[in-house]
Amino acid sequence: MGSNMAENHPVAFRWPMKAKMNGAKIIHVDPRFTRTSAMADIHAHIRAGSDIAFLGGLVNFVLDHPRWNSEPFFRTWLLEYSNAPFIVSSDFQDAEDRDGVFSGLLEYKGGVTEWPLNGFVGSYDGKSWQYAGTATGATGEPAAQTAKSGETGPSNRPHDAGAAADRGTGDPRRAAPPPGPPFDALVRSLKKPPPRRDPTLQDPRCVFQIVKRHFARYTPEMVERVTGCPKDLFLKVAETLLENSGPDRTSAFVYAVAWTQHTNGPQIIGCAALLQILLGNMGRPGAGIMALRGHASIQGSTDIPTLYHSIHGYLGHPSVLKRHRTLAEYLASETVATGYYANTPKFMVSYLKSMWGDAATKDNGFGYGWHPRILGDHSHLPMFVAMDERRVKGMLLIGQNPATSINARLERRAMGKLEWLVVKDNWVHESATFWKNAPEVKSGAVRPQDIKTEVFFFPSAQVAEEEGSFTNTQRMLQWHFKAAEPPGDCRGDLWFTYQLGKRLKALYASSTAARDEGFQKLLFDYAPAAESERAKGGPDPHRILKEINGFLTADPGQHLKGFGELKDDGSTTCASWIYCGVFPAPDQNLAARKQPDPPGQEGGQLQWGWAWPANRRIMYNRASADLQGRPWSERKKWVWWDGSTWTGKDTPDFAITRSPSAKADPNGIGMDALSGTEPFIMKTDGRGWLFVPTGLVDGPLPTHYEPAESPVKNPLYKQQSSPVLKYWKHEGNSLAGTGDPAFPHVITTYRLTEHYLAGAMSRWNPWLTELQPELFVEISPELAAAQGIRNLDFVRITSPRASVRAKALVTRRLRPFVIDGKTVHQVGMPWHWGYEGVVTGDVVNELTALVADPNVSIHEGKSFVCRVEKA
Amino acid sequence: MNAEMLPSTLFSAAPHWKWLIIWYFFIGGLAGGTFFLAALLDLVGDVRDRALARLGYLIAFPAVLVCGLLLIVDLGRPSRFWHMLIQSNTGWPMFKAYSPMSLGAWALLVFGFFAFLAFLAALGDRGRAGGRWRIRLRPPGALGALVAVGGGIGGLFLSGYTGLLLAATNRPIWSDTTLLGVSFLISAASTSSALLIVLGRRLGGVYALRRLARFEVIVMVLELIALVALVVSLGPLARAWLSVWGVLLVVGVAGLGILVPLVLHWRGGWRAAVAGGVLVLVGGFLFRVVIVLSSEHLGRTI
Amino acid sequence: MAEPMGFFTDTSICIGCKACEVACKEWNQLPAANGGVTTLSGDSYDNTRQLDGLHWRHVRFVEQFAEDRKDGRWLLMSDVCKHCVRAGCMEVCPTGAIIRTEFDTVVIQSDTCNGCRDCIAACPFGVIGMNPVSDTAQKCTLCYDRLKVGLEPACAKACPTDSIQFGTIRELKERAAARVTQLDRQGVKGAYLYGADDRMLGGLNSFFLLMDRPEVYGLPANPQMPSRTLRAGALWTTLTAVVVGLAGVFSFRQRGHREPDEDRP
Ligand SMILES: Nc1nc2c(c(=O)[nH]1)N[C@H]1C(S)=C(S)[C@@H](COP(=O)(O)OP(=O)(O)OC[C@H]3O[C@@H](n4cnc5c(=O)[nH]c(N)nc54)[C@H](O)[C@@H]3O)O[C@H]1N2
Ligand SMILES: Nc1nc2c(c(=O)[nH]1)N[C@H]1C(S)=C(S)[C@@H](COP(=O)(O)OP(=O)(O)OC[C@H]3O[C@@H](n4cnc5c(=O)[nH]c(N)nc54)[C@H](O)[C@@H]3O)O[C@H]1N2
Ligand code: SF4
Ligand code: SF4
Ligand code: SF4
Ligand code: SF4
Ligand code: SF4
Ligand SMILES: [Mo]
Repeated sequence: MGSNMAENHPVAFRWPMKAKMNGAKIIHVDPRFTRTSAMADIHAHIRAGSDIAFLGGLVNFVLDHPRWNSEPFFRTWLLEYSNAPFIVSSDFQDAEDRDGVFSGLLEYKGGVTEWPLNGFVGSYDGKSWQYAGTATGATGEPAAQTAKSGETGPSNRPHDAGAAADRGTGDPRRAAPPPGPPFDALVRSLKKPPPRRDPTLQDPRCVFQIVKRHFARYTPEMVERVTGCPKDLFLKVAETLLENSGPDRTSAFVYAVAWTQHTNGPQIIGCAALLQILLGNMGRPGAGIMALRGHASIQGSTDIPTLYHSIHGYLGHPSVLKRHRTLAEYLASETVATGYYANTPKFMVSYLKSMWGDAATKDNGFGYGWHPRILGDHSHLPMFVAMDERRVKGMLLIGQNPATSINARLERRAMGKLEWLVVKDNWVHESATFWKNAPEVKSGAVRPQDIKTEVFFFPSAQVAEEEGSFTNTQRMLQWHFKAAEPPGDCRGDLWFTYQLGKRLKALYASSTAARDEGFQKLLFDYAPAAESERAKGGPDPHRILKEINGFLTADPGQHLKGFGELKDDGSTTCASWIYCGVFPAPDQNLAARKQPDPPGQEGGQLQWGWAWPANRRIMYNRASADLQGRPWSERKKWVWWDGSTWTGKDTPDFAITRSPSAKADPNGIGMDALSGTEPFIMKTDGRGWLFVPTGLVDGPLPTHYEPAESPVKNPLYKQQSSPVLKYWKHEGNSLAGTGDPAFPHVITTYRLTEHYLAGAMSRWNPWLTELQPELFVEISPELAAAQGIRNLDFVRITSPRASVRAKALVTRRLRPFVIDGKTVHQVGMPWHWGYEGVVTGDVVNELTALVADPNVSIHEGKSFVCRVEKA
Repeated sequence: MNAEMLPSTLFSAAPHWKWLIIWYFFIGGLAGGTFFLAALLDLVGDVRDRALARLGYLIAFPAVLVCGLLLIVDLGRPSRFWHMLIQSNTGWPMFKAYSPMSLGAWALLVFGFFAFLAFLAALGDRGRAGGRWRIRLRPPGALGALVAVGGGIGGLFLSGYTGLLLAATNRPIWSDTTLLGVSFLISAASTSSALLIVLGRRLGGVYALRRLARFEVIVMVLELIALVALVVSLGPLARAWLSVWGVLLVVGVAGLGILVPLVLHWRGGWRAAVAGGVLVLVGGFLFRVVIVLSSEHLGRTI
Repeated sequence: MAEPMGFFTDTSICIGCKACEVACKEWNQLPAANGGVTTLSGDSYDNTRQLDGLHWRHVRFVEQFAEDRKDGRWLLMSDVCKHCVRAGCMEVCPTGAIIRTEFDTVVIQSDTCNGCRDCIAACPFGVIGMNPVSDTAQKCTLCYDRLKVGLEPACAKACPTDSIQFGTIRELKERAAARVTQLDRQGVKGAYLYGADDRMLGGLNSFFLLMDRPEVYGLPANPQMPSRTLRAGALWTTLTAVVVGLAGVFSFRQRGHREPDEDRP
């Protein structure tokens, strides 16, 4: 659900197919019948943008089901492994009771004048969402657990305009946090009283009762009304799922961008998490929620982030908008006292040591003051708005093709306002030639001489021409070796970045500006030991891996073997705590291992590559054992307590000697605060969260909202779409109103196996272009008949942003939906085409809008509206 | 068409044998047929037939040369035409008795050889200097008889094997009947005698021409029967001819190419005979067009 | 001779990713049709349409949906040369370019083939086509060059779901039979093997598990050898030759009989 795995992750789909051959059932929930659906036992079709209604229906089904209510397995999970018994603040009011809005909704007034681009159309004060008696404002949120927009709750958000550097003074009522190192006192000062609980689950304010009430209206009938999926089909899915969950069986959810590219993406995923916790499908083999990642090593690029709002290992990025002026303040706002994240000071200090080495001392807060801080939302969409407003002068475009990206016309216009643009790519793609070949230039609407951007093109080497590592979907690092020299003058990205850094450092060496001090002090020495290698000008990838893995500051030859060794006093240096242990000794690069488990004894495949954290293949795997630490069943045995330690087929995800009978220390911090039965150790309470008291900015419970653009009114609430979604009101970015008759059709965009994203990696390859040569729009025969369209006719697709042309592919794999009694037609378009390459076609992303989810700023490319007519 | 009733031959691919091959079939039929008729006239006719027979030999050899050329040009790699006769890797002769194409290649060579001899003889008949020995390459006389019999059989083979060549495939129509050889052979005979009639008229050999005309009538009747049998033998696939091809077959081949000439023969008169001959030639050509192209366009239906 | 080798293609687990098509092209350096600039076929996701000299693997997409969508499936199948034990292409080839290898596979030797195209017409499955680069007839070689050095064929290697399985025919047949039983036990109706037994052209060394009638996948239900028409055809033709000969003798044998030299036949 939420992914078209067979088409987009065909190699990984090998495993679902193996499972199927062994009798597993595959269910595919997708608006279209795809190649994944073709392999599925059940294909349930839902209208794009209605996943929460479907998942909510499943939650409701489970909660009502006699088997779920009677089986001890589910009861244990609910009482002991989830936060169901916890009592929520009496200030909390559910969206059910307020027509789709949770308590705490405010007008958005955050941000700084220098960066008025955070896009929120509203914002929540999440104080009332917290556990009763623990609500101390939005501070102490484990920011690492959700990729937030960079802001905390409004209580400490600056409302006045002023110089960015002075931001973050925050709530004056708060005292300065205790200094460190050691930071134990600081962590302890963050301790909140443990939440109250009701083991009978009867208290109307306990999480369980709130969840039950919240989903009570998500009946099968309602599912049909909202999603268009017939009730019977929905029930078949629900029954299959529940049947396949329990001590002996597990079910897994697999998603990708069909769940993320919405204005409420994280809530969809959250809803699946809620369901999986109810079903006991977490931390166990064959269970969980699998996020299929996109680009090769995109997982790596969020771990070692190119994300704007986090630094290594999902630590929050120092921000002007938060109370982040000093290291202690940063730690106080980013650390939680209980659970594993109580170790945040160790992670952060070791990271700062990796940045500034010896210059980072206890006395200068380990150089924290040199660290850049963000101003607000610097993700893709607002950056292009900023560019269009000439707030951004130059751009280094390394491996991206925004000329065909969301609201492509707007993004191209924005690029045309840059002073300079560096494109480093394997191909001269649309973003490198937008100034001369874009449709608006060809049509004469824009003249190349009016675009003042100076464009530089650097031919890039391919992955196989470099040594390095990939981190893929299952958080696994795999080392790859250089297979060939790059042709001509092509250079690898490592070479480029290293050279750029070195040259910039030389440029800034003599600067006396205070703001440049951090850059001057930044360690940037990755030169290879061998002179012959050094002459080539590139860095030694092993030296980079070593910095990421970490070592003893005093003895750099001693690599760290795991993040358990990290210290908050500067004695350890480690860029990324989650990667700590991948390179435990100078001659042991565990990412390069390729040793499968012996046939017949397949377990965690622990000798194949290395998975963060700690080479753990299934997170929270303490949950694969019962309260006493025994496997739930022989069939689903994974990790267990052998009387003295946790052991099993995987690296246990628990304090290794903490017995199942260990009691939580009410005064303890970190792991001591959790009992031996609380498996979700990254959570403050060790529990799987059905109700999310902190961390999400758009509500503690998943709630069905319509997409920002929809032809139908929200059948569940008066609130049409997320009250806090992000929308950038900007020229060329208008949205259609609900039910606008000019745009009656729902459209979704997606990928084909035969092509890759913006197309540079496939539309330049004739072997692939002959497989899918032309842009098309998939249309049901019903819509085709209504619009007088025949197969292969040219069709015009128009959204409030633009209009594109494509050939019609009329197929029964698509179908109309009946939503709330009204027929809604949905079409779909792959978005791989552009105006460069062996084959070309219109840019589908000209249709999409800059509108995004408030937690992670992902666009809503999966559901918007258009009009389809014969061209 | 409903998938259930699809004959298995519809799943093969077309070899793209088109105009070159159609011309080859047509001219090959004429080469074989004219030689055969010439040889027969030489062997069983009398001296009044010699001029017409000579015409046959004169046509046969150039025609067979053209055939060879057409075939070679039609190859993907014309320079490798000899691979049909000699194994390119061992140098041994390449011969496959069960492959009509292999047989045909050899037949063309062997027949070409006889046709060449007879051609020499026919040239010699003009009485040019040094031509006398060549006369012996034509009957009467043992050597001449050998050439005539060998070439005659070769000629018949050449006119008929092309049908078998088409049939020994998995193409729709072609391989759905065993009667293509029959039709091709008969058509070769009728077109050849028509050609001799048309061209022989100028030679003034009325006596021989009359008997050729009789032969022509017999053969055309046979041809009509064979055509009907062919259609019947195709069974359900004959429906493929419920198309422009069928129209061409009925109007062009059967009507113009057989029935009208028959009527013309019955009416009599030289003009009619020549006109009939031309029509037979056109009909024979159309027949090959229909057979070859109607199949080329079938198959790979899904 | 090594043990007969071949493919078992299990269409029930083909995801239509076309990796096999591309892997084949890459290994065999086959160019794309028209430099890759082709047009949308409009027939599901199949834009290469057929097996031919440039496409030695071809993935077929068959959409079967009831109008009300109550019933629906999308059959996906990767097609290839069947490496018939009794191979029609090989039977007719006049140059001997088509050989049977030590792996019991059927290979066209490109340096011998002269492009007469008889094999194209002879193959009951429409497998062969002309390659415009070499101007010879070409088709899957079952990666003869890879087999000779102990490598698995490129397409099978690339197939992510093992829909294409390579191995000895003996083992593949066992696996295939087991798979049919397995599917049957899982309640999947209609799965059967195509070409696995020797009734079809002596056996196909590349056989398939299909979910619907062969025609649905573009396969003949009853493939035959081209020579099936030879015996009868030759007989009829010879008879005809005799008849025509007799007609000739009858018409021409008029020695001594005088005809008036009329100017009419
Ligand atoms: N061949 C190939 N593989 C790829 C890529 C590629 O371009 N080509 N891209 C890679 C990248 S970067 C990524 S992020 C992943 C993405 O992998 P996926 O998320 O699988 O990619 P999409 O094809 O965008 O969308 C998947 C499906 O979402 C369905 N869909 C649309 N709207 C909704 C909805 O509201 N709900 C639900 N449940 N389904 C919906 C679409 O019909 C589509 O079938 O793929 C990666 N793999
Ligand atoms: N409407 C709509 N829009 C979408 C999506 C959608 O589903 N619908 N999906 C979104 C998603 S999930 C993604 S990930 C984005 C992707 O959008 P982009 O990242 O913009 O698209 P790509 O085509 O993958 O661009 C990657 C570029 O990197 C180049 N490249 C490859 N290897 C290297 C290398 O080693 N070094 C360098 N320097 N360059 C290299 C490639 O040639 C290519 O040009 O698109 C998003 N846009
Ligand atoms: S393109 Fe690469 S990463 Fe994607 S499925 Fe294929 S092999 Fe895997
Ligand atoms: S399938 Fe066709 S090409 Fe392949 S061996 Fe059989 S007859 Fe020859
Ligand atoms: S085209 Fe080549 S391989 Fe095919 S029959 Fe002719 S010579 Fe043989
Ligand atoms: S076996 Fe080799 S030649 Fe045949 S289809 Fe597979 S990759 Fe292509
Ligand atoms: S590679 Fe395998 S799964 Fe993909 S299309 Fe080919 S046979 Fe099917
Ligand atoms: Mo992605």
